[in-house]
Formats: sequence, structure tokens, C-alpha cells
Amino acid sequence: MNDESLVEEKVEEVDILFFEIGSGTFGTDASQVLRIDRSLPEDITLPELGRLSRGHRALVFDTPEGEGHLKVDTVRGVRPIPVTQLRRMPPTAGAASYAVGVCLEEARTVLLIDLVETARTQDSQGRH
Amino acid sequence: MAPDRAVAAQARPEQEFFCFRVGDLRFGVPSENVLEVFRAGLLTPLPRTPSFIMGVTGHRGEVLPVVDLLRFLSKGEARIGPRTRLFIGVTGSIVAGVVADTVLGLRRIPVSDILPPPLGGDAAAEHLLGVVQGSTTQDGINLLNFHKLLQTARQRAVAR
Repeated sequence: MNDESLVEEKVEEVDILFFEIGSGTFGTDASQVLRIDRSLPEDITLPELGRLSRGHRALVFDTPEGEGHLKVDTVRGVRPIPVTQLRRMPPTAGAASYAVGVCLEEARTVLLIDLVETARTQDSQGRH
Repeated sequence: MAPDRAVAAQARPEQEFFCFRVGDLRFGVPSENVLEVFRAGLLTPLPRTPSFIMGVTGHRGEVLPVVDLLRFLSKGEARIGPRTRLFIGVTGSIVAGVVADTVLGLRRIPVSDILPPPLGGDAAAEHLLGVVQGSTTQDGINLLNFHKLLQTARQRAVAR
């Protein structure tokens, strides 16, 4: 039987790493993350995303100046997300340049963070 | 013979407004600027936005910035509760969700009843088309120049 309706259309997916800062959940393109490390006091923090409760972990990513380290509270893991659930940030929102988009989940939207951009916006802060 | 409605409308032209209340204020937005009304869901706050952007929300697969009119007009602060509604406002290419505590509905307002915004009013007056007086001060409706309001909101958000 050659029923085309039975052929599932393959939806492209992107691996998103979900993490928490304070009470907020955020996501980032997992391909940007080199590893998860213990944090150091001089690592990048983003207080506007929430107040770190412990901040014992750091997402390590590559930048033109070397490695960047973003302090986070918890790493929730990596999940493949269909690109149809990802949206760019509306420019009218005027959000920080590292807030690049959102992931649409059932009842909520998860803010997507560009890690490299976090280092650019805080060039005087963080270890490289 | 029944009066001809078209003739009556020409004699006393009307404009249709979507009317709502937020805080203690009543507003009207030209109905052609309103796409849809829905119950406010979870908002995702955004970093480094102007205070009148409460965050973004997902609706029908789109991401909408949500505007607090009270903050934008320096008239206080809206609060999201279980009964809060958002309406989708649109002008040109700009689309945004706007917080409304109560939806009053669509009202056809005779153009002759629309009074000019108060002279020497505060900064909010520059975003008004006019006002419609009610039996009491609180019953009055502030008719928004929604095109100008969203244009200003975008400029303030992007220029930061």
C-alpha cells in the first residue's frame, strides 16, 4: 500500500538546553554549550532574569575572546524541540539583545537566551 | 415609511470603539484596531524592556508583547488576575496584546459626542483622539489614538 497520508512529515528539531535562574526557566541552543561547570564568583550573572538562589553551576560556551561562563541555579536537561515551536522575539518588545526568542510550550512561553550575546552585553564582567 | 438608516448615519455619523476598563479608567480603541480578546494566560517577563512592556505571551502560535496602558500613560500599574483579559491591538505592522480588567464591549459613538482631549492635560492627552463624557466623571471614556500610541510604544522600546 502506498498511502501518502501515512507518511509522516519530518519536522526539523533543535536541541534546547533548559536551565533555571531563580524561579524562572530559560532555554538556549544546546549546541552553544561546551560543558556544565562549577561556577566561580567572577562568572557572568544576569540579575534581570531573576535572582540566583545558589548559582553553583555555570554554562560554559565559546566566544571570540575565549570561554564564557554564565551562572545558573539548575540545569534541567536537553530536549529536542520542533522548530515550529520556536519564535523570534518581536522587535517591538525591545528586550535585551541576548533574549532572542521564545519556545512555545503548552501553557507558557520559555525565553530563549543567546549565550554568546550575554558575554557581549557584559564585556566588563565574567571570566573568559 | 421606516427611516433610512444610511441617511440617518450620514446625518449623525458614528464611530465604533472597543471599550474597556483598566484600573479606574475607561478607554475606547477604534474597533478596526482590535483583532481579538482572550483571557490573559501566563506572561513571560523580558529583561531590559521599558516598564510598560509586561512581557510576552503565546497566542495561536504567535508571540505577542503585552502592554500595560496604565504604566504607558503614567496612570498607575495594571495587575494580571484570573479575570484579566488581553485584546490584540494592531496598527500597520505592529501587533501587541493590551491588558484590560473588564471589557465593556463595542459601542457606536456619535462623532459629535466626542470632545477634544483636555487642553494643558498631561502626557497621556497626546495619545487621545478625544473623550466622551458620562453621567459621572468615572463614566467618561478616553478614546485612544491607538495608531499613535503603538507607534510611540515601539519607538520607546526600540530606542533603548
